[in-house]
Amino acid sequence: MLLKLAWRNVWRNTRRTVISVAALALGVTAVVSIHSFQEVAYQAMIRGITTGLVGDVQVHGRGYQQSPEMGNVVPDAAAVEARLKRALPVAQTERRVLGAGLAGAGDASSAVMVMGIEPRKPGAHALLTIEKGHGLDPAPSHEVVLGDSLARDLGVAPGGEMILVGQAADGSLANDRYTVVGTADAGTYEANATMVFLHIADAQSFFALGDGVHQVIVRLPTDEEDLSHPLSILRGAIDLSALEIVPWTDILPELKSVIDAKRRNTQILDFIVFLIVALGILNTMTMSTFERTREFGVMASLGTRRRRVLAMVLLEALLQGFIGFAIGTGLAWALSHAVGSVDLGGFVGGADMVGTRLPAVLTLSLNASAIARAGIVTVLTMLAGALVPAVRASRLRPVEATRYV
Amino acid sequence: MRPAILIVALALLLAGGGASGLFPQANVPPCPSEVERPDAAALIKRIDQLLTGRSTVGVMTMSIKTPSWSRSLKLRIWAQGKDYALVRVLEGGPRETGMTTLKREKQLWNWLPQAGRVMKLPSGMLGDSWMGSDFTNDDLLRGNSLTDDFSTSIARIEKVDGHDAWRLGLVPKPTAVVVWGRIEMLVDRASCLPLGQQFFDEDGTLAREMSFSDFRQIGWRRFPARMTLVPAEKGRQTTIVYSEIQFDVDIPADTFSLQRLRQGR
Repeated sequence: MLLKLAWRNVWRNTRRTVISVAALALGVTAVVSIHSFQEVAYQAMIRGITTGLVGDVQVHGRGYQQSPEMGNVVPDAAAVEARLKRALPVAQTERRVLGAGLAGAGDASSAVMVMGIEPRKPGAHALLTIEKGHGLDPAPSHEVVLGDSLARDLGVAPGGEMILVGQAADGSLANDRYTVVGTADAGTYEANATMVFLHIADAQSFFALGDGVHQVIVRLPTDEEDLSHPLSILRGAIDLSALEIVPWTDILPELKSVIDAKRRNTQILDFIVFLIVALGILNTMTMSTFERTREFGVMASLGTRRRRVLAMVLLEALLQGFIGFAIGTGLAWALSHAVGSVDLGGFVGGADMVGTRLPAVLTLSLNASAIARAGIVTVLTMLAGALVPAVRASRLRPVEATRYV
Repeated sequence: MRPAILIVALALLLAGGGASGLFPQANVPPCPSEVERPDAAALIKRIDQLLTGRSTVGVMTMSIKTPSWSRSLKLRIWAQGKDYALVRVLEGGPRETGMTTLKREKQLWNWLPQAGRVMKLPSGMLGDSWMGSDFTNDDLLRGNSLTDDFSTSIARIEKVDGHDAWRLGLVPKPTAVVVWGRIEMLVDRASCLPLGQQFFDEDGTLAREMSFSDFRQIGWRRFPARMTLVPAEKGRQTTIVYSEIQFDVDIPADTFSLQRLRQGR
């Protein structure tokens, strides 16, 4: 009954209702689209990091995160991996060796970062996009893949030879000669200028590490940023007196904090958008209740309770809110489908962000939590905008109100 | 840390010190032990002449200690004048034995035995450790500039093991390209032999300390066969002990050729 009344009231002044619903709908569209686009971008960045360079979680020798020393290794990586997988069967693991060195080809030389990877693991594919030549052989065979700008600096192409010098874990002078099999886009400008990738077994023998590795990377099938639950399970599986386990948010705290800061900025934008919408609703509802002063007076004199009048007016606002929200979400959905994917193209070169990079093409999709949040905020906005006029309408004195023309 | 000047120990590796080689014993002034405050510059020059020759050939053991590992290398060195030096690893890890560093004027090349190639050291790596020791590539490269680049004065007389020693203060001349803020040097008063050297950075903090001991008679020279370098970094130390050393010998000219280095001989 009340709902029916409210519904009818909504459409008493169609033009006004359409305008205020349209304003709300556009606000919802903007907020949902912006949030969704941002979340798509953040998730792409985080996925880039977690599937490629860093993983979701890493196991190191204790203290390695704080000060990465060549000799600080996870000694028995196979056993550690087995234990991690037993604790969390969905986890995927991968070993890495890291070190600094000097690469030379011909008369050119350059300071480099050396990374020993397992070429067969998916992480190796996520880490490297081969530009020329091919990737590393699955078996250790003295091959290297270079970041493409490093290869340019050294003047070496696939098929060429490269010398690597560095200091091994035992202090000895590591030196060896490798065949360059490929050049790769390693994700960021810095990585492309400094990274040398080789088979992990080649890297272990170069740095005299035996079976030791510097990182056991753990990948989890989740896009969750809060890893405290899987982390606590994994923590129970390893010997924490000799090893440490670190989530990506601790390995790249800058990325996490940049994303969080940007999210906060967007929330301020949301607030402004909805504040404007709320003021619009306040205006609309004030007008609409003002026009109906007599009507409210009649209702009151017929014995309609104040609470029912209040509820009716709020309901009118909520109805408009639902319509606006539905249309707005629909528009946002249509927009994301119409645009489909955003080709960041040339823009990407400048989009390195704290050690990660957006993929060239982002496929847009609506973010459920953005929609849910927009819904809740819509309801609150409508209630806030309609509250004052609703209270006023419910408090009208019947005698005065009925005389009002 | 990017050290700048050649410390006295390394003068050995490098510098026949053109001028000093021309001074046989007769030209070295006597040690002015009786003078309370002798001419400090002359004292430094005398030490230069003592430690360097027209050429040097020797065998030494370099022991490196760090918190995570210690090891030692047996090295053979050849040095001719200020500009040419060759250091070969006689005994070391399996991948290092045979490694050879060639200094030609202002450039360093390394023969890498495992790689079987020669690599020129990029200038950006000059401040880096040489062979994992506390000496830097720069130490090998720079000529002996204690006389040219520093103003020397005698600060005071100290007692070291019951003997008098002069403490010399060396401050870089305004025109000198030097990273040290100052150097202090301890010289035994009776023998005029250097006992130690302290290097301070521009903030005045001690960056590294060198000590000389185990003096041996080689020809007219009293030469410190043991030199220890202790950097500011805790737990590190590099010691050089000479088992053989000869001064002013003739070295075949092709010893310092890049071609020969490329053949790994």
